[in-house]
Amino acid sequence: MAAVYLTHHQKVLRLYKKSLRHIESWCIFRDKYRFYACLLRARFDENKHEKDMVKATIMLKAGEEEFWANQHPQPYLFPDSPGGTSYERYECYKVPEWCLDHWHPSEKAMYPDYFAKREQWKKLRVQSWDRE
Amino acid sequence: MALIMHSSLLLIFFTLLYPLLTTLNPDQQESKLAEMTKTAVSSAFFISLLPLMIFLNLKTEGIITNWHWMNTQTFDINISFKFDHYSLIFVPIALYVTWSILEFALWYMHSDPYINRFFKYLLTFLVAMIILVTANNMFQLFIGWEGVGIMSFLLIGWWHGRADANTAALQAVIYNRVGDIGLIMTMAWFAMNLNSWEIQQVFTLSKDFNMTIPLMGLALAATGKSAQFGLHPWLPSAMEGPTPVSALLHSSTMVVAGIFLLIRLHPLMENNQLALTICLCLGALTSLFTATCALTQNDIKKIVAFSTSSQLGLMMVTIGLNQPQLAFLHICTHAFFKAMLFLCSGSIIHSLNDEQDIRKMGGLFNIMPATSTYFTIGSLALTGTPFLAGFFSKDAIIEALNTSYLNAWALILTLIATSFTAVYSFRLVYFVIMGTPRFLPLSPINENNPLVINPIKRLAWGSIIAGFIITHNFLPMKTPIMTMPTTLKMAALLVTIMGLLIAMDLANMTSKQVKITPTITTHHFSNMLGFFPAITHRLIPKLNLTLGQSIATQFDKTWLETVGPKGLALTQTVLAKITNDITRGMIKTYLTIFLLTLILATIPILL
Repeated sequence: MAAVYLTHHQKVLRLYKKSLRHIESWCIFRDKYRFYACLLRARFDENKHEKDMVKATIMLKAGEEEFWANQHPQPYLFPDSPGGTSYERYECYKVPEWCLDHWHPSEKAMYPDYFAKREQWKKLRVQSWDRE
Repeated sequence: MALIMHSSLLLIFFTLLYPLLTTLNPDQQESKLAEMTKTAVSSAFFISLLPLMIFLNLKTEGIITNWHWMNTQTFDINISFKFDHYSLIFVPIALYVTWSILEFALWYMHSDPYINRFFKYLLTFLVAMIILVTANNMFQLFIGWEGVGIMSFLLIGWWHGRADANTAALQAVIYNRVGDIGLIMTMAWFAMNLNSWEIQQVFTLSKDFNMTIPLMGLALAATGKSAQFGLHPWLPSAMEGPTPVSALLHSSTMVVAGIFLLIRLHPLMENNQLALTICLCLGALTSLFTATCALTQNDIKKIVAFSTSSQLGLMMVTIGLNQPQLAFLHICTHAFFKAMLFLCSGSIIHSLNDEQDIRKMGGLFNIMPATSTYFTIGSLALTGTPFLAGFFSKDAIIEALNTSYLNAWALILTLIATSFTAVYSFRLVYFVIMGTPRFLPLSPINENNPLVINPIKRLAWGSIIAGFIITHNFLPMKTPIMTMPTTLKMAALLVTIMGLLIAMDLANMTSKQVKITPTITTHHFSNMLGFFPAITHRLIPKLNLTLGQSIATQFDKTWLETVGPKGLALTQTVLAKITNDITRGMIKTYLTIFLLTLILATIPILL
């Protein structure tokens, strides 16, 4: 997505995915989860052909409020995702990438493709720095 | 005999210190510190069995004063070790549990590049813990106390690249510090009023004093170190550390340091009803509160952490009942099954690729039969199943609680907490071991490595027979009440079974399509840990920030600026701008007015 604002479509889809994940956090057994997930899908599908944007926005807002009221306080997070149990766990073992510049040429010769591309990558980084 | 006992005890110290001393060697390559540490601890364990046998046979207890360290004319600080019933039983148990955990850590932390440093930290912790346990004076105890606190900080923040781990480590240190204030106050009181820090002297000299102040200090110290209600949030956060750390520090050894302090200094508390009541009520509240929090957690380590906290509350209750020996028995039995529960969880977590959420585990009974069996044994021991380890201590505690003329509120809370223990243990077993798998298919499930299975097996043996052995070998100082109504005698068992049946019923309902969410308010209270961390950690900073914001906007911006100078300037500039704009660029008007004024001015002169 290039622009700063979300489209209505994106908002609806984000709400749907969030709700599914939280239903998964509540309904631990897969068959029960599948049942409620299908019910949720039906609720979304019922109104998907709504052409009136005002009504659609009102429904979206009502949906977000219902989500907020029923969300799980400790949603399931994958271990490596932000907030998960092993997120950033190995940061303390990581070495910064500028160390690669200090390798001996014989060591660099072991990975010729990577180091060839690396010079181009550094030039691109300098160009896009201000934009970022 | 005494000589054998004392020399073997000092030999234990040197055996444990030797690997640490080898790390001081400047040229170290390919050091096998990890295996050496494990061997050192296991040999220390076998050496420590010798004084234990001597003690059990001959009831010899000893005090060694090694070094007159800082002695003035009025005050002595020595290095002296006390080997009495408590430390002689605790040291072999701590060494046994540590041996198992170190062997497990060789597998768990195998891929860690700094595994040697990890083992060094664990060994330093063990040495500090043994110093604490064998201390005969408050100064040495304080050295051990601070030592375990610091090692806890270093080990919780082992993966220091992770923000949550650093937060948790800081939390542990700060909460422990609050408890340390109590300990230091007690030490200061002893130094001022009793002029001694030696435990024997404190006991004899304190007969005529009102001991309320130092006992409050000790209660605060135990609240901080043993995670009683009020200073408890650090214990579940401490699960950020690797599983061996959680197993060693935050279940078997470090967190019992506070309770151990109270047990050591129990003769001071025997006659002070206020201190006993505070311990009783605080322990009961902790036990129930943390058991409630454990009911809805989804992280396997957090559930076991809250379970630890609940059992620590139970130990505090026992101290409040004037039964330090029962509390000590519970410390010993608890060490076995809690460490085993943590090791089993570690094995499960590693096998499922670092998955810690019980919502994504299940059906492990078929794939990891040994681990799930030991897990079940540990859970059964925890709930107090008859004739496993936990039964001897837990049942005795509940009996003592039932038959004493004390606070009925504390009794009810403890019984409810006992039933909750059954509930969350069953919940854990149900979601992790029973049912169908909910984890990814290609998980590297492995329990074939002897480094994993042997420690858990050893601890399982301990969980089964330790209660039996220890109960038959210690001399009760207080006569237990032997006659009571059958209901009271069976109370713990009845309450546990009731909890188990309710949990089974609820688990059955969970798997059917009744409704998505449970009762929201109670679930949220339990899941958000009673909102205690949210309130204590965030309320005061939020109030400060809101105050700052309101001062900045209301006071500074409004009253000092807008009403005063800036407002004035604003009005002036606005008016000036309007006037300027109105009269801007109207040259013809200016010239006309100029000529008009000129004519009007010159007419009286002409006339």
